[in-house]
Parts: sequence; structure tokens; C-alpha cells
Amino acid sequence: MPTTTAAAIGAAQRRVAGPSLARRLEANPFTWLVPVAVMLGVFYLYPILDVFRLGLTNASLVGNDERYTLVTLRAMFENPALLDILKTTFVFTFASVIGQQVLGLAIALIVMRGERRKLKGMVALRTLVLIAWVIPGIANGLIWQMLFSEAPFGAINSVLRMIHIPPVAWLSDPNIAMLSAVISNVWRGTAFSMIVFYAALKAIDPTLYEAASVDGASGSQKLRFITLPQLRAAILVNSILVTIQTLNTFDAIISLTGGGPGRATEVLSLFTFNTVFRNYDLAGGSVLSVLMLVISLVLALGYASLLPRREASE
Amino acid sequence: MMRLRLVTALLASAAALVAVTAHADNLVTKDRVGPADAPKSFTLRLTNDGPTSTDPVWAEGYQKLFSDFIQRHPGWRIDLERMSDNIGQEQARMLEQAKSGNGPDCAAVDSFVLALFKGANVLKPLDEYFTKEEVADLFPFIRDGITGPDGKIYAWWWNTDLRVLYRNKEIVPDAPKDWAGLKAAALASKEKGGEGVLFNGGRWEGTTFDWLANFWAQGGKLVDDKGKPIFAEGENREKFLKAVNYFKDLVDSGAAPKRVATIVNYDEFNAAAAAGTAALFIGGNWQYGQLKNTLEPEEFAKWTFSEIPGPTAGERSTGTGGWTFGAFSNDPEKVAMCAAVIKEIYAGPGNALQQQLPTAAALYGKYDIFKTPANETFAKALVNGQARPGVPIYPEISNQIQIMMGDVLSGTKTPEAALDAANTAVQAAFARL
Repeated sequence: MPTTTAAAIGAAQRRVAGPSLARRLEANPFTWLVPVAVMLGVFYLYPILDVFRLGLTNASLVGNDERYTLVTLRAMFENPALLDILKTTFVFTFASVIGQQVLGLAIALIVMRGERRKLKGMVALRTLVLIAWVIPGIANGLIWQMLFSEAPFGAINSVLRMIHIPPVAWLSDPNIAMLSAVISNVWRGTAFSMIVFYAALKAIDPTLYEAASVDGASGSQKLRFITLPQLRAAILVNSILVTIQTLNTFDAIISLTGGGPGRATEVLSLFTFNTVFRNYDLAGGSVLSVLMLVISLVLALGYASLLPRREASE
Repeated sequence: MMRLRLVTALLASAAALVAVTAHADNLVTKDRVGPADAPKSFTLRLTNDGPTSTDPVWAEGYQKLFSDFIQRHPGWRIDLERMSDNIGQEQARMLEQAKSGNGPDCAAVDSFVLALFKGANVLKPLDEYFTKEEVADLFPFIRDGITGPDGKIYAWWWNTDLRVLYRNKEIVPDAPKDWAGLKAAALASKEKGGEGVLFNGGRWEGTTFDWLANFWAQGGKLVDDKGKPIFAEGENREKFLKAVNYFKDLVDSGAAPKRVATIVNYDEFNAAAAAGTAALFIGGNWQYGQLKNTLEPEEFAKWTFSEIPGPTAGERSTGTGGWTFGAFSNDPEKVAMCAAVIKEIYAGPGNALQQQLPTAAALYGKYDIFKTPANETFAKALVNGQARPGVPIYPEISNQIQIMMGDVLSGTKTPEAALDAANTAVQAAFARL
């Protein structure tokens, strides 16, 4: 039987030579990680590294002689406007994060309570809140610009006049303009917080509330001693996401106030956009982008350090 | 028999007309002009001035112009690209693309950034496609704008615009001649229930451009011959502060509402005119047509316009802008097609379609639309027209003037402090250029 003999010899040779290259590659985890590593490297890591590189140059959209220098770095950090812009960014981000979380939690609690009582319209309520989240930032800014318009025919001021309340300088007063920007951002971002908190509330063991009820706990005591502690991780994760999202927000502001009046609502992301696309200063914009990245990372690490640790036994 | 022949002829004509119309419709799609399988093609990047315009009249007119054009140039296809309304970002992005060799073959370039494109050496000369007479017929500031340091023309500036003072004749019968006259007229209009005078005062280019007329009317200069910012030095500083204080006084006195600090769109003036709350506003010449389309005929009849008042009746200026076309392609055939698009579609027919002011004197006599009293008045006002300086530092100067205007009008800073802050920022940016 020559065929059988040849097959047996081949099998014996393969056993001596070990597994084939394809099989060895298949067994190696790095083979499976390479495509995603390449994708991340090309589309995420390379642009970040290039921004770092550009920040150390004098690159401009109009110039041709790009060279490495620390002048841009110094010029950006010595810019007298930067401190005011950082303060504005802090106020806008802090107020937006707090506003979105409080409102998001309130709506999630209402939806949960409604579902527990089998009230109709809870799905509609959730959908209604989500609509604001779907609206693009530019459109969001335009909608609120129409609402806050200080023209005699402006929507909100017209309603105020009807109830004999004097009109408000929503966008022309520097202090109120910031409040208006925060309101428009909170309106848009609340839905995201609501989803996160709704999911986290669903995961809370109902027996905790039953036990609390048996002990005679009031509604506010249940919120303080059960709901909020159980939501700690969700609140912190949500804080990280909302903070980064708010730090990157410029589209809603650019269409609402353009950053004005003066620089009253010019946040860091809008300042970066203006530096690159209005002043054609690619290097300056890169320095500011790196600054945004650093701020986001520091805040994210700060929040993450507060996250509850899993026990070793788990 | 005769009747049968007539019916047959009519049916045949109708069928032919439908076929031609259908053919023309197919030739212009939202992203292409000409047959999809044409052997040669070039990319054309446009603003709202094209077949995909949001204005249905303009869109229809351009579809016809482009359809006729492509039938005169068989074998070609135009791949259309559309810019968003964020013109500043679009132009900056296009400049970067052109520098890296990835720009469109032909594109609309905003006249106020044309100097940046010329400075970056990304535009191809267009001299061989325009006669010396055609170039000589352009208004001087237009000719200067498109000419490079080597004397060649690097773009074709096909339309221009200017700013004027619109007024409701029923409320403000006489045109204000100077700053004091405008303030008095605005205060008088408030007594009749209006808002006073409206102008751009928010964070956008229109604020700088419209206000600059008051600085230029005094002979003020933003930059010197070498492009260095000098607006805060010597006599220029005085003229600058005088013009800023004029706007501040309009707001402080109530002649202009505080909300001007939030206005970032000329459409706000149309809305106020339509709502009957405004009797005076500083707007663009193109708004005359918009008011005609927006207002009822009897309401539109109340509106007229005059030159922007200067500090005195003899000192006048107005900002002039407009759009150019430039070629970025290295292929001479595509550059020639770009020039053909400019000559056959935009410079003349496009002006007439959009009622946008031509840049050459001859075109005012060629089209009836520009022989109307309104357009003749606009053309005369161009005598006092001034274009923004074509220097790389201009965008930062404009940005700082917008910030300064917001700070001054909202009372956050005094005009002097705001000017000093603006000058510090501009000089720092200039040092890095």
C-alpha cells in the first residue's frame, strides 16, 4: 500500500517539524492584536503624536518654512487671554457637568418611579429627552439663539413681557451670556446622563429598598443612603465622560454667541478652533490642543482615583 | 390631413423639448455637471453661488448656466464640491489642501483671504485667458487685489459688494449725512416705537468690516505698506478710538440697542425690517433684493438706502468685499476650463442672476438689471469703497476688533483699555508670523 505509507511518512515529518507557521501565528495573541493596533496607531496615535510635534514648530496654514522652535509654546502660555479663557472654560465645564448630572439623575429617577408604578408614557418621556441629545451642536446653538434672542420678537423675552417681567439680556450681558451657554449645553447633554443613571438604577438590588422600607426609611433617606452610594461608580464614570465632552464643546457656543460678547463665552476648545482656522496658527492650535488633552487626562485620572476598588477576593 | 400634420409636428416638438429638458436635467446633478462617463473632468469647489444654492432662483439659474456651459464643452465633466457656510474654516482648510497638492482644480476664494492664497503660491496665473482690456476695465481695488507681485493675475474677482445705511423712509425721511445725524435719526425712530439703528456687533467678521468704514472714513490705516499693524499708533490711534467711541455712544445713548453686541448675521436686519421693529440698519447691498423678496410690496416701497454716514458729511467710506475664482490645478487644460467657467458663467451672467455687483465697469451697461436706480446708486457708492488689507495679519486684527467691540459695547472695558489689549494681541501674533 504505497499511498498509505507516504501519508504516514508525511504525518511523521510534520510531527517532527512541529506546528506550521500559520498555526503558530494563529496561536499567538499578538497576531490578533496587530490589526487593531495598526488601526489605533494610524488613526489615533499618529495624529496625537503629530499634534505634539506641530506644537514644537512654527507651523502655520499660510507659511511654508516650518522649523522646530519653542517660541510657539512660550507665546501661547504668555498670552494674557489664556488665563481668562481657562477660567471661562472651568465655569462652563463645572456648571455643565453639575447641571447635566443633577437633571439627568432627576429624570432617571422619575422614569424609574413611573415604571415601578406602571405609569403610561415613560417610554415617550425617555424618547423626548433623547431627542435633544440627537440634535447636532450647531443646530442646538441656533435653536437657543432664537430662544434667547433679545430682539423685540425674541421667544423667551416675548413670553416674559407677556407676564410683565422685564426682558433679560441673555446674550449681550457677559455674565448672563455664560449662563445662557450653560443652559443650552445642559439641555443637550442631560439625556446622556439620564441614560447612564437609568441603567445604573436598574442594576440596584430592589431588596435594598424593601429592607429600607421595613426599617421605616423615608424617600430622601433611601436616596441618600442607598441610591447615591450605589450610583457612585456611575456618577464618577459619567463625570469623566461629561467633563471630556464639555471640554470639547465649541460648536454649540460658536453658533450661540461666537464666544462673545468680547471673550465672555470663549472656552478653550473655541479658542483653539479660532487659533487654527481664523488665525491660521497651526502650531499655536496644537499647543492648545495638547493643553486640552492634559487637562482632560488629569481630570479623568482624578475621577478614576475616586472609583470604588474591587475587593481582592472578588 | 393638414390638421393631422400639425398635430404630429406639435407632438414631435413637445417630445423633443421634453427630451432636451430631461437631458439638461441629467447634465446637472448635485455633485456633477456633464456626463458621468466624460473622458476629462475637473473639480470645482463652490459656495452657495452655484447649482446647489439654497436659493431656488439662483439654483435654477445656475443649473441652466452650467448645463449650457457643459454642452459647449463636450468631453468634459465638472465634479462639484460644496463649501459649508463656515467660510473661514472652509477657506483655511482649502489653503492647507492646496499647499499639500490636494486642493480642488478650481475654486471660489473669498476676496479677503486671496492675499493668503497668493502668498502661499498655490494659485496659477490666469493672464492668458483674459485680455488686457478686460483686466483694465476692472475697478482699481479689484485689479490690485488679484495681481501678484510679479504683475500676473492669480484669480478673477467676479462680484463685489458694499455696505450702506438702510432706512424706512416713513420713519426716517432724510438720509443721515454724518454720525451726529445718524444718532439723532435713530433716537427719533425710537420715539416712534423702533429699536434705533442696528449694526453687526457680535463675534464675527461682519462686525469688523462694517465698523471699519468709520475708521477708514477718517483716513485711518490698519497696516503700513509692509503689512505691519499700525492702527494703535499716532493719528491712527486717535481715529480708531473716535470710531469706537462713536459706536459706544450709539449704544450708551440708546440710539442703538444693547443687543447689537449679539448680532452675527445680516439676516437679523431683514427679520427686524419684516417685523417692523427696525427703521435703520447698516447692511450689505445684496439685502436690497432680499428685502424686496421678503416684504410686501407696499412695505418694501418704504425702504431705501444711502451711503454710510461719516464723521462729517464729506468723509465717507464703505467696506467692499466679494468673491474670486482661482485655479489650483497643474494641468493647463483644467486651468483653461476654470477660466472658461469664470468667463462664461460667473463674470456677467452670474452677476445678473444674483444681482451682485460686477467688478468691471462695462458689465454695468451690458445688463439691464444693473441699470436700475438702486444698482446705479450702489455702483456710484463704490467710489468710496475700500477693501480689507490683503495681509496675513488681517484675520487676527479682525478677531481682536470683534473682541474689543464686544468688551466696549457691553461695558466690560473702556475703549482705550480694549484697544491696548487688542494691539498687544495683534503685535504678539505679528511677531510670530
